[in-house]
Amino acid sequence: MKVNPIYHQESKASARSFKLPLIVLLFNCVLAAVALLDMYSMISQVRLTAEIQYSSFLGLYVFVAAVEFVLLLFIIPGLTGGSISGERERQTLDLMLTTRMTAAGIVFGKLAAGLSTVFLLIVSSLPVLSLVFIYGGVTMPDVGLLFFCYLVTAVLVGSVGIFCSAALKRSTVATAAAYAAVLVLVAGTIVVSYLAEGFDEMTALSGSGGAVWPLYLLLCNPAVMFQSVLIRQVGSEEGLAVLTPLIMRIRDLELLGGHWWGCSVLAQIAMSGALLWAAVRQVTSRPRRKKKAAGL
Amino acid sequence: MLRIENLKKVFGKTVALDGLNMLVQDGALYGFVGPNGAGKTTTIRTIIGLLTPDEGSVAVDGVYVDQSPKKVMSKIGYVPDSFGVYDNLKVSEYMEFFAACYGITGLKARKRNETLLEQVGLYDKADFYVEGLSRGMKQRLCLARALIHNPLFLIMDEPTAGLDPRTRYEFKEILKELCAQGKTILISSHILPELSEICTDIGVVDQGRMVFEGSMEEILSQINVACPILISIAGDQSPALRILREHSQVETVTIRGDDILVGFRGDKKDETALLQRLVEAGVQIYGFMRERRNLETVFMQITDRGGEEVVLSYES
Repeated sequence: MKVNPIYHQESKASARSFKLPLIVLLFNCVLAAVALLDMYSMISQVRLTAEIQYSSFLGLYVFVAAVEFVLLLFIIPGLTGGSISGERERQTLDLMLTTRMTAAGIVFGKLAAGLSTVFLLIVSSLPVLSLVFIYGGVTMPDVGLLFFCYLVTAVLVGSVGIFCSAALKRSTVATAAAYAAVLVLVAGTIVVSYLAEGFDEMTALSGSGGAVWPLYLLLCNPAVMFQSVLIRQVGSEEGLAVLTPLIMRIRDLELLGGHWWGCSVLAQIAMSGALLWAAVRQVTSRPRRKKKAAGL
Repeated sequence: MLRIENLKKVFGKTVALDGLNMLVQDGALYGFVGPNGAGKTTTIRTIIGLLTPDEGSVAVDGVYVDQSPKKVMSKIGYVPDSFGVYDNLKVSEYMEFFAACYGITGLKARKRNETLLEQVGLYDKADFYVEGLSRGMKQRLCLARALIHNPLFLIMDEPTAGLDPRTRYEFKEILKELCAQGKTILISSHILPELSEICTDIGVVDQGRMVFEGSMEEILSQINVACPILISIAGDQSPALRILREHSQVETVTIRGDDILVGFRGDKKDETALLQRLVEAGVQIYGFMRERRNLETVFMQITDRGGEEVVLSYES
């Protein structure tokens, strides 16, 4: 089987640099510190009250998983935001396009390289997440589902980064745009949904009923998908508390026949596909005509 | 090897290529020259399929770029005006990466890399990081990279820009060697004396059009015919000026001290006749010769938009 040359080259270069071990170390240090502090606080509580609340250990799982999720949202745009624009700045993109490599090969190679780092981060965090197994309450399939959720998020956020990188010339601008796009995707859709909910309440009072369509925007929100997975797993409403009212509303309204989570995964995969397709188009058309017009 | 017909490309309001025609024969070392903004890079980027023309066609070895771009790419090796290297890779890894981009892997890739690195004099640098190479070495590495898939046609955009004289000389020698191996090479460059030393053919582009195209021999013979004759006269110049003014082949006459610079249309036979006529008129001539010009002078003459018309004038 032929390995994508870009993926192979990026993996080799990143394995050699100090950046990758540093990211893995910091990522796990943050997770471990959060987990140990949470655990310490639980044990202190036990010492004080002489009462063991096993639900707090599930709280530990939710807390660590949420911190890991947020860290991933911060790391992935940084990993992918400068990938294609970096090639453009080095002027190697044109060279690649004159080889047998296709624009799709370049885009998928870059995404795969970014995802391999994310995969490494997720796998390396397994020991910290496994702390919850000491007390039980969470099974391996639950953790597998969580990892799947991380992976879908990584593909979506990675695709956002790759698209920004393909569409914009400068790496710094592309990375900033990727962070902004992720912020809009995560926080923007929540804000819109809350505004819609407020409007809904107002119209409900006037007796005309409210619109639920803004809630469907949350299908593309990886944080909502993550929170709904956690709620399914632990049965409580812990985690990213800001999302809980929205998820409860989705549940109450039985949107999409109660298959919200599955539909959300499908929507995010479809969105990733659309972004990657757009990135391929950007790489193929090389939108630098204005510059060329000046330089000929 | 390369045939371009009526190539047109417009960027917004700027006409980059305005019906450019070009023909590069198999095995030629073609010098592609023109002032900044003439359309050289646009032409090159169109040949390698990075730009789509608005009109016209580009065929490499009989294959049209717009019909089979990847097939054309397999025939072309491209060296851009920038290095296009990865500083965090070793020389051998850089070569392996581009070999893999062309679908060449394993032992075949390794052998090809070794051969090419030896050819460009970087064999002993194979385990060095690209970051540590000098400018000249990076340019040679770029050349080796462009040859990785054994292309028939090599296109180089300003390959010797910024290199020191010794590296330029070495680079020229490598190009001559490649040409001897049967490769067709197109070089876009501003260093005209160098081009005149190594090129077999030349194409001068200006304002998106080919203003001159032909073999070096043709251009050099035209240069000589177009050069003015320098006549050095001892004593009175007026009889000479009278004869020159009346002569039908004389276009311009410029007096420079004791010398007269004569713009003269004619071959060696006509020159001999003019000299004989002057001597018979009693003009004391102690010097009579065509001024020597080089490719640079011709380039300046061809691309000088203000001096396209030849006017018969008598200047002193």
